Amino acid sequence: MFLEIEKKNQENIALIDSEGNQVSYGDIVKFVPSFYSAVNKRTLIFVLNDNSVGAALGYLGAMSNHIVPLMLGASMDKELLGELIRIYQPEYIWKPLCMAESKDVLFEGYHYVLEATGLTGYPLYEELSLLLTTSGSTGSPKLVRHSYANLEAQAKNISAFFEMDGTERPIVDLPINYTYGLSVMNSHLYSGATVLLTSMNVLNPKYWVYLKEQKATVFTNVPYSYEILKKLRVFKMELPYLKIFTQGGGKLNEELHREFAEYAKNTGRKFIVTYGQTEGSARMAYLPSEYAIEKCGSIGKAIPNGKLYLLDEEGKKITEPGVIGEMVYEGPNVTLGYAQSGEDLLLGDERHGVLYTGDMVKMDGDGFFYIVGRKKRFLKLCGYRIGLDECENIIKSAFDTECACVGNDDCMHIYVTSEKEHEKIKRYIADKLGINSGAFKVCHIEQIPRNEAGKILYSKLS
Amino acid sequence: MEQLRKYNQVFMEAFSLAEGELTDKVVMGETTDWDSIGHVNLITSMEDVFDIMFETEDILEFTSYTKGKEILKKYNIYI
Repeated sequence: MFLEIEKKNQENIALIDSEGNQVSYGDIVKFVPSFYSAVNKRTLIFVLNDNSVGAALGYLGAMSNHIVPLMLGASMDKELLGELIRIYQPEYIWKPLCMAESKDVLFEGYHYVLEATGLTGYPLYEELSLLLTTSGSTGSPKLVRHSYANLEAQAKNISAFFEMDGTERPIVDLPINYTYGLSVMNSHLYSGATVLLTSMNVLNPKYWVYLKEQKATVFTNVPYSYEILKKLRVFKMELPYLKIFTQGGGKLNEELHREFAEYAKNTGRKFIVTYGQTEGSARMAYLPSEYAIEKCGSIGKAIPNGKLYLLDEEGKKITEPGVIGEMVYEGPNVTLGYAQSGEDLLLGDERHGVLYTGDMVKMDGDGFFYIVGRKKRFLKLCGYRIGLDECENIIKSAFDTECACVGNDDCMHIYVTSEKEHEKIKRYIADKLGINSGAFKVCHIEQIPRNEAGKILYSKLS
Repeated sequence: MEQLRKYNQVFMEAFSLAEGELTDKVVMGETTDWDSIGHVNLITSMEDVFDIMFETEDILEFTSYTKGKEILKKYNIYI
C-alpha cells in the first residue's frame, strides 16, 4: 500500500482536520478498497482539495489503488478547472460535498463525494502516479508528471533528514495540492505520525487555537508566512509543543533566516531551511539546523540519496568554490517530465533522474549552496511562481503600451512607455494573477532598452 | 480629529481607497488587497503612524475598519 500505511500501528491517528474529523491508519486501510470498488480501474481522477481529512483520503485512496490523481485547489477558478477537464478528460472527480452537482453520486465519505464526468480518460503511462500543477503558475494547464518511485523516494528521504520517529504532529496549512504541502503529509504518514490538516492560515485566531489544542510539533511554511509570524511576535508566544520550524517555497531573506535560527537556538528548537521544486517532488536540499546560524542564507546540501552540482555556461562542472553556475540535481525524486495535453499522459521518463533547476547558485568552501539568482525569467511573489514574459504579454494585450517586467521576489517592477494608467495597470495585473497589488510597482520609461537585434536588455532596467 | 485623519490615511494608502469608501464594509478578506500580505502592511503602517506595538491577539482581531478603532483604544488612541 502507498506509504506502507498498512504497516503502521493501525490504532494511531493518521489525519486530523480543523473541522473535527479524524482517521486512524486502520481507517485508511479500510477506506482504500471501498474507494477502489467505486472507481474499479486505473484511470485519471481530479481531487479538489480543501485540506480536510476527506480530501486526503481521496488522494490516498487513489494512490494506493494506482488510480492517478490530479490534485487541485477546491477554490480554484471555475474557468481554469473547466479548461483542465477539457484537456485531460478525467473520468471522475472527488470533491467536497458542498460542491456536489450530480444527483448520481457514486461514493461518499468524510464530507466528500465521487462524481463521474461521463468522459473517457486517456491511456496512462504505467509508472505515472500523480499529477500536480507547477507551483502557482497561474492559468497554465501545464502539469508535472510523477512516478511511483518519485513519491516513495520523497517520503523516505524527507523523513530521514528530519529524523522522524512517528511521534510528530505537523500542522499542514499549506495546500496538499501544492508539492510542498503534499510532501509534508506524505513523509509524516510514511513515518507513522499524526498530520494536522487545516485550510486556515496564521492570521486566523482559530488557527492558533487549533495548533495549541492539537499540540502541533512541526510548523512548515513559505517565506511570506515567516514574515507574518515575525509580525505576530511569534518569538514571544507560548508554544511549548512546537519543536521544529521549517521553511521552503522560495528564498527566505537573510535577516529573517538569522532571527529564526537564533530564536530556535535560544529556545531549544530546530530551524530547518529547505529547497525544492515541484519538478523534483518537493525537497532537493536542506540546511541541517546545527548549521542554521553559521551558514545563514544557504539552502544547505543535497538531501539523502540526492546529488547537487553546478554547471558553467559551457555545461562543464564547476569544482571551485564561489563560482556561480546553474544548479543541477540528480536523484530518485526527479519527476518524469511535463504534460501539456491528454496524450502526454502516456509519455515515459524524459528526465532520467536529472533536473536542471534554472537557479543560479554558488558553493562555499565547505560544500554549502547559496542561491544568487535565476536563469529563467520568473519571480516568486507571495510563494507563487510568476513568469515575467507572461506578465509582459498580459499587460501589452490589455493596454496600449510597450512593457518590460523585472524585479525581485518582494516586488515586480513593471516598466511601461505609457505615461498614464499606471494605477490601472497595477490593479489589472494584480487581479489577473490573484496577488496583492503591493507586490507590483509600475514605472514610466521613455523607451525600453533593446540591443541591435531588438531583444530587451533587462540588465539595464534593474 | 487628527487621529481619525491619520487612521483614515493608513487605510487609504494600504488599500487604495478614497476617504468616502471608509465604512464598516472595509473588512479583511473582502476589501481588495486586504489579504494576509495587505494585513501585515496595514498593521506595520498603523504601528509606525501611532508609534505603538500591537499584541498578537490585537493583530489577529484587527479584521475591519470599525474593529480597528476599538482595538486602538487599548493603546490609548481614541478615534
